Amino acid sequence: MKILTIARSNLSRFLRDRANIFFVFILPLGIVLLIGAQFGGETSRRLGVSMSDGDPVANAILDNLESGDRIRAIRFDTEAALLLAVERNTVSAGVAIPENASAQIADGENISVGFVSRPDGFGPQMRAIVDQAVATATSEAAAARFATDRGADPTAAAATAARLNGGTDTITIESSTTGDSLFEGVTGRFDVGASSQLVLFMFLTGLAGSAAIIQSRQLGVTRRMMSTPTSPATIVAGEALGRFMVVLVQGLYIVAATALLFGVSWGDPLGAASIILAFSAVGAGAALLFGTLFKNDQQAGSVGVIAGLGLAAIGGSMLPIELFSDTMRQIAKFTPHAWANEAFAELFRRNGTITDIGPQLGVLAIFAIVLLALATWRMRKVITAQ
Amino acid sequence: MTDRPVLEATDLDKRFGDLHAVRGVSFHIDPGETYGLLGPNGAGKTTTIAMVGGLLERDGGQVLIEGEPMTVRTLDPRRKIGLVPQDLAIYPDLTARENLTFFARLYEISGQQLKDRVAKVLEVIGLTDRADDRAGEFSGGMKRRLNIGIGLLHQPRLLILDEPTVGVDPQSRNAILESVEALSSDGIAVLYTTHYMEEAERLATRVGIIDQGEIKAEGTRRQLVQMVGERDRISITANGPLESAVTDLRGMSGVEEAGASDGQITLLVRDASELLAKALETVTNTGASVSSVAVEEPDLEAAFLHLTGKALRD
Ligand SMILES: Nc1ncnc2c1ncn2[C@@H]1O[C@H](COP(=O)(O)OP(=O)(O)O)[C@@H](O)[C@H]1O
Ligand SMILES: [Mg+2]
Repeated sequence: MKILTIARSNLSRFLRDRANIFFVFILPLGIVLLIGAQFGGETSRRLGVSMSDGDPVANAILDNLESGDRIRAIRFDTEAALLLAVERNTVSAGVAIPENASAQIADGENISVGFVSRPDGFGPQMRAIVDQAVATATSEAAAARFATDRGADPTAAAATAARLNGGTDTITIESSTTGDSLFEGVTGRFDVGASSQLVLFMFLTGLAGSAAIIQSRQLGVTRRMMSTPTSPATIVAGEALGRFMVVLVQGLYIVAATALLFGVSWGDPLGAASIILAFSAVGAGAALLFGTLFKNDQQAGSVGVIAGLGLAAIGGSMLPIELFSDTMRQIAKFTPHAWANEAFAELFRRNGTITDIGPQLGVLAIFAIVLLALATWRMRKVITAQ
Repeated sequence: MTDRPVLEATDLDKRFGDLHAVRGVSFHIDPGETYGLLGPNGAGKTTTIAMVGGLLERDGGQVLIEGEPMTVRTLDPRRKIGLVPQDLAIYPDLTARENLTFFARLYEISGQQLKDRVAKVLEVIGLTDRADDRAGEFSGGMKRRLNIGIGLLHQPRLLILDEPTVGVDPQSRNAILESVEALSSDGIAVLYTTHYMEEAERLATRVGIIDQGEIKAEGTRRQLVQMVGERDRISITANGPLESAVTDLRGMSGVEEAGASDGQITLLVRDASELLAKALETVTNTGASVSSVAVEEPDLEAAFLHLTGKALRD
């Protein structure tokens, strides 16, 4: 199959270029990691704790929180500082343990620990961890330990322990939320960051890859292919398939690598795969069209990067579309990025499946068909002209 | 095998806007023949070849490849042609073998035959040792050879070489010329364009002199030279009655001019090789003794100059 021959040579030439390896395989992971750390990722495991130094009950809770490596606890000196950190998403949630907690308990009072989280994010998971840590701290063993730590006389210690053991009422947890929800229903921002980066890079790779199509022309290889018994339609289809494969390989790679390395969840596999396929076709169409619009590969490369980043920004791949004004959201609809981003969000937020993203896939397919049709028409003209 | 021409080009015509690049060019190439299209830069050689290879829409005329019409839309006749473009058309980031394999597949060669043909062509172009090196690392001459090799993969009936030696070192150039000669003796028809007269003289069975889009004259070197009135020159140095020898020589058919001065007879003849023996006999018959003979055959340069009013070299 000659189409495959042409596509395959496209792919192997692409993979042979070290610069491509960096920009296509290494850089995106770096960015996903970076964005993930910014928007979620690491933060998703950070829990702020405000407490007073040396308080045995507080220390016991902190110990319990940190045991098991499920979260990283970060100490804040004041409750105000903790609240700000939660609002700014520096930590996913916060636990405010009152000053003199131990003394109050010893005096026979019940205390209340504050739990604050953002309306989105990891609130529920964090709350579960906090519940457990507090419960453990109130267990008899812990009670005895802190009593002994305090050097209290055994009778008092036993009394405290008994009180603590008497029920979880001794320490209650009061939940509250702070900040606005940016991503309704999304539990892992890392995932949102990763999917928008995926879309950005796939499209960028497509456009940057248009340079290869121009190079083939400049090298005279395209024309020479015409001197073999190979129709222009086959050549165009081969180049298109080649670009498609390059973009697809990158898409699958990013998904696999981020899932394995950073534990990013991509939602329903069939749904995610269809978005990637549809978007690869869009990228291939854009690459082909770009390849016919420029005579010079460097020109195409640099305009491609600008256009790729620009469309990504408009389409909500740089700044979440949730932060856009209404007008900008309408404008975003003219980019394939916005539709792919929306489709991925649908998979994450509502645990959507392929049937839920039908409309988005449809729009992406239209983008792909229009781009490929335009490109084919242009490309045939370009390669049959002298 | 039929003896119909491998290529028959009739009245080819091409305009680029106001420029009439090719004007009614006609020629044919028989099996085993090497046809040299000789002309200066901008004469219309590449444009002619592009029309022959079905790469360029023509404004008029017809191309038949073994009787089959070739247009920009027909694919079949392309199987019979190996077109080697003037400028390199190879992927520098692929190896020699990968380049050949890629094009072999486009020529619909597959399986074991593909491997065999690639290996064979690597051998012919002398790149077997470098087969797995990237073409981008090759010298200019090696790249040229690879460029030519691609045109040989499918064992075409007609090999078209567009100025294959331009910008090539003398050694590679000679290697290229030798392989063209070898291919030709294998029976392949060759269309060879060049602006080097000596290449046309060395390789071509027939030469078409092209200038400003027109074939000004066509034929074997001898025919061309004679067509423009250029004659072979025989110089005979001798002692004896040269004047009477000259008188006798003037009477011979085929002798256009004869004269003697300073002990040397000069003859202008149509074909020196035909006449030489007889001319010497005539001279010795008058009693003169010949001490040396020199024959000068005019070259295509002279014919070219005469036909186009300009020297070939730019
Ligand atoms: N695509 C083109 N557009 C305009 N003019 C062209 C084009 N190709 C060739 N020409 C012109 O046609 C003439 C013949 O060119 P070409 O066939 O390349 O000559 P040659 O191969 O003998 O050097 C030249 O004057 C050249 O500039
Ligand atoms: Mg030329």
